[in-house]
Amino acid sequence: MDKRTILNIENISKTYKNGDIRVSALCDVSLVIERGEFVMITGRNGSGKSTLLHQLGLLDIPDKGKIILNDQEVVYMDENKRTMLRLKYLGYIFQEYALIAELTALENVMLPAMLIGNSYNAQKKAVEIFRNFNLKNKMNRLPNQLSGGEQQKVAIARSLINDPVIIFADEPTANLDTTASMEVLDLFKKINKDGRTIIMITHEQEELKYASRLIKLSDGKLL
Amino acid sequence: MKTETRIPFYLAWKYLQRGNKWTLLLTVFLMAVAFVNLIFMSSLFNGIIDGTNKQIVNTMTGNIYITPKDGSDNISNQENILETIENTEGVEASSPEIFVPASLEFNNQKGNWTVLAIDPDKEKNVTNVSQKMTSGKYLETDDSNSIIIGRQIAGGEGVEQDAFSLKGAEVGDKVTLSLNGLNEELIVKGIFTTKFLDTDSRAFITNKTLSKIIPIFSHNPNTIIVKTTNGVAESDVIDKLRTNGINENIYTWEEAAGFMSSVTESFLSINILISFVGVLIAAVTIFIIIYVDIINKTREIGILRAIGIKPYIIFTSYIIKAAAYSVGGVILGSVVFFGVLVPYFNLHPFVLPICDAVLVLTKTDFIARAETIMWVAVLSALIPSVAVTKSKILKAIFGK
Repeated sequence: MDKRTILNIENISKTYKNGDIRVSALCDVSLVIERGEFVMITGRNGSGKSTLLHQLGLLDIPDKGKIILNDQEVVYMDENKRTMLRLKYLGYIFQEYALIAELTALENVMLPAMLIGNSYNAQKKAVEIFRNFNLKNKMNRLPNQLSGGEQQKVAIARSLINDPVIIFADEPTANLDTTASMEVLDLFKKINKDGRTIIMITHEQEELKYASRLIKLSDGKLL
Repeated sequence: MKTETRIPFYLAWKYLQRGNKWTLLLTVFLMAVAFVNLIFMSSLFNGIIDGTNKQIVNTMTGNIYITPKDGSDNISNQENILETIENTEGVEASSPEIFVPASLEFNNQKGNWTVLAIDPDKEKNVTNVSQKMTSGKYLETDDSNSIIIGRQIAGGEGVEQDAFSLKGAEVGDKVTLSLNGLNEELIVKGIFTTKFLDTDSRAFITNKTLSKIIPIFSHNPNTIIVKTTNGVAESDVIDKLRTNGINENIYTWEEAAGFMSSVTESFLSINILISFVGVLIAAVTIFIIIYVDIINKTREIGILRAIGIKPYIIFTSYIIKAAAYSVGGVILGSVVFFGVLVPYFNLHPFVLPICDAVLVLTKTDFIARAETIMWVAVLSALIPSVAVTKSKILKAIFGK
């Protein structure tokens, strides 16, 4: 594998059962993602965008095919190792913020770091990220005391805390107004500029300009 | 402690600290209700059993009950035996009793009841019948034509066994005691009510009265009842009595209690059955509370897994949270039980024909039931939280 390649997908397929009918969500998809890319996945509803992102992000297991992440085959890896990979190497941003309601913004961000270090270092690092995101004055608030844009920024901060090699974002601006969306995308651009690989799903045409590469999906196949 | 092992406690604490306060209070309240339900019925039955046992000991048999050697009708050499008994370590008092096979008659109402000839001064030290006089007075050693009768013998309105009683005999009335064809008119000196049917169906006369009727009976008791020092095991005292040369038949009050012991055994069986049902009800209640709590957090659990939190950390945090709920429930339940229910029932006991029952909860029962609540809570959290952490991450987050 090329040294620049961070993720190599070979012929992955995934079918779902919808009642008695089997739906093919991904069909023989092969893809190579290189370090530092900002990849946007687009396509119509039901085209397989989220299914692809979930397979790449180790949230699901494809029916067939190979996924090689940072030189490791991950499809047949046991769940404990996949959990560790998710913790150490991958970051996630979901459409609906997905913060833990009982933790403050700071605690939400610190949590993944506490698992691989001590609380003091986790807090130090989290505060630094909040400072860079201009959110330091809101880091002690609970998620329900933050706006949608602020919550999504906290989710992005959480995804960065363990210095992941790839960040996955599933329509991160879908629930945000235009201003907040722009702020979040600017943040992604900054993170990507720092050398981080980002794979993001979007529906919005105006967001595509932020990407270094576009991937279009239709009926579970790459176009 | 490693940071990783501290995280379940950290998460559980945050859930409790920042979760919905009303949900927390309601959950702890329901746990408390389940706990009180579990201990209330058990302590009530314990109270009935304890009350009945005390009635047997305090009004009838004493702690130890001595009868003549096999083949004898009476305990001979009474003076020496009583001296030996009272000098035995662990014995507080003893009283010889003579069962008199007599009948009583008043206003053409006649019946056979247990009549006992006693030394009132000695009897007072073993039983508490002297403190249960509802009218008139207790016997004195020099009384020679008096009798005290139980409420069930006296009869009257509201008396449970009025149909078989003397139907309204009162203090000062003359009753006829018939023994071996001899009749003696005795004045009712007092009427006692112990609330224990067996004792309230007894009558007492003095040894002096009995010796006046039939002199041969005096000084030949057929029973000696013994009161032991508080906290001393009856079996230990019995061993010492035997070592000290008492060769009569010696029984604990339980062995002497007769059919009442089968009544208490029945209560014990019912108590076990009710406790089992109580545990089931508590288990189902707690399981539902915890299950609903965890199912509502399914998405959050999925997110934690997605960001790389190990499953054991997630379900341990929910187990700790459930254990904290149960500790809260046990504490609140204990405050309600010991602070409200026990004092209330001490003031207003359950009035039963055999005793006035109060709530009695032993330390062992309390610990066992508190542990039950905690284990049920832990299992109730373990099952759904493990199930959620074992399910597919996407199913947990998106429900598909």
